[in-house]
Amino acid sequence: MEITPWLGELQWEHSPSDELLSQQLGVIDWLEEHEKEHTDTVRQGFTSIAILWKEQGFQTRFKNHYKTIKFPRVQLSDRIWQIPVCYEPEYGKDLGSLAVAKRLSLNSLIKLHAENRYRIHFFGFLPGFMYLNGLPELLHTPRKPFPDRTVDPGSVAIGGAQTGIYPRESPGGWHTIGRSPVIFFNIEKDPPVWAKAGESLEFVPIDGEEMNKLLKQPPSPYLK
Amino acid sequence: MSKTLATAHIFKTGPGTSIQDLGRMDYGKYGIPTSGCMDSKSSQWVNLQLNNPNDAAVLEISQPGLGIRFSAPTMVSIAGAQAQVLQNGKEVGNPSLIPIMAKDQLEIGQFITGARVYLGIKYGFKSQLELGSRSFFKEITPLPYFSKEGKVSFWDEASTLGVLHSKAKWDHRWFEKEELEVYLGPDWRLLDQETKSHLLTASFHISPLTNRMGAQLLETVENKLPELPTNPVFPGTVQLTSGGKIIILGQDAQVTGGYPRIFQLSDLALSILAQKKPGQVVRFSKLVC
Repeated sequence: MEITPWLGELQWEHSPSDELLSQQLGVIDWLEEHEKEHTDTVRQGFTSIAILWKEQGFQTRFKNHYKTIKFPRVQLSDRIWQIPVCYEPEYGKDLGSLAVAKRLSLNSLIKLHAENRYRIHFFGFLPGFMYLNGLPELLHTPRKPFPDRTVDPGSVAIGGAQTGIYPRESPGGWHTIGRSPVIFFNIEKDPPVWAKAGESLEFVPIDGEEMNKLLKQPPSPYLK
Repeated sequence: MSKTLATAHIFKTGPGTSIQDLGRMDYGKYGIPTSGCMDSKSSQWVNLQLNNPNDAAVLEISQPGLGIRFSAPTMVSIAGAQAQVLQNGKEVGNPSLIPIMAKDQLEIGQFITGARVYLGIKYGFKSQLELGSRSFFKEITPLPYFSKEGKVSFWDEASTLGVLHSKAKWDHRWFEKEELEVYLGPDWRLLDQETKSHLLTASFHISPLTNRMGAQLLETVENKLPELPTNPVFPGTVQLTSGGKIIILGQDAQVTGGYPRIFQLSDLALSILAQKKPGQVVRFSKLVC
């Protein structure tokens, strides 16, 4: 659909899924290959792709041809990143209240969060913040009515149907359940993030002692 | 003729002074905000006066009380908000083009109308380039804002002196308009008829919660919109929260958001909004795409 003469959006009615992601990444690849010089940027969300065109005519032409284009489907990557996370109360200050609200023991809550594998859909919110899909339904939790003033960098949190990692210190409305010592965004590197949309991520619990060591020497994330 | 890099020393500033250019639009894929001048109409105008390319970096000033000293001759141009400008303590009548001598001092005083002053310099300010842009942003550039004092480089230029044949006059009346022209956003269709007509006829006041990330409006608009999956947003996207707050996203806004996107401002409307102060009135008027 056209929003402005230069801005358009492709929308899907389904909920976020691997299937939808592979379609979206296919469209993004196609645009990168065929329309790169005609676009200022392409932005991805869970159920849409926004395209900012350099000129109105480019959008009109795309709109007229859109139905005849055979977009490729991208096979989602089998790369799995493993992210160490310390789920101790010192780092996960909302862990206790969340466990009570969910009527779960701390251990089963941590297990539920860490046993799952999450798909990286796109980056947004803050530089290096990954939107992940795959949080077990039992852990879905409404965002806080009043956001915390600051959340530590690397904090692992739950908000709505999402889990995510704050790449830098920021105000935050999600429930913090742990913290990772990994660096998620580094402007000195090109690209400044290490993961790509379509890859997966797992959280690996570590204890407080190891966390203290790793905070002093932040580790790189590792592939499973 | 050879040019050398000279230094502009900001010896005093209120909060919110930064270097801005066209921003880094294509880095949203890493979650990096667009950034860039909030009022691009004014910044383009100063660059045009100086014969600069349109990506030349300018100083964006959002509070009175800026003082800047130049170590070498150059030419500067000031537009945007209408403000008092002093050169070595003397009021400058028309700041469209101001020849600068070494050690000259400029001060931006009280703002008469408007909210953001743009100070452009011949060839643009040469702060650090990060991901294709000099626009300040926390953890992308070395500084998020100039605080109290700061330094920034520029190319000296003695030869522009004496070429002041015709000096254009900056007309600020365009931003006194209360209408913000908008296109309908991707989630507009989810609103009921009553809410739609209210949004297109009511007057709204700019709240004090207004900065480079976004402008919040004082009045709330009740709605029954569902929570939506996170999707792309841009500078000028208007969001309606479940609590009824209206937020108009600015240049430093995040690149995706979960609130319903009801409007998209035209480029001119974005520049008009950038010159509005808290308490001022705006109305949305529909443009047909």
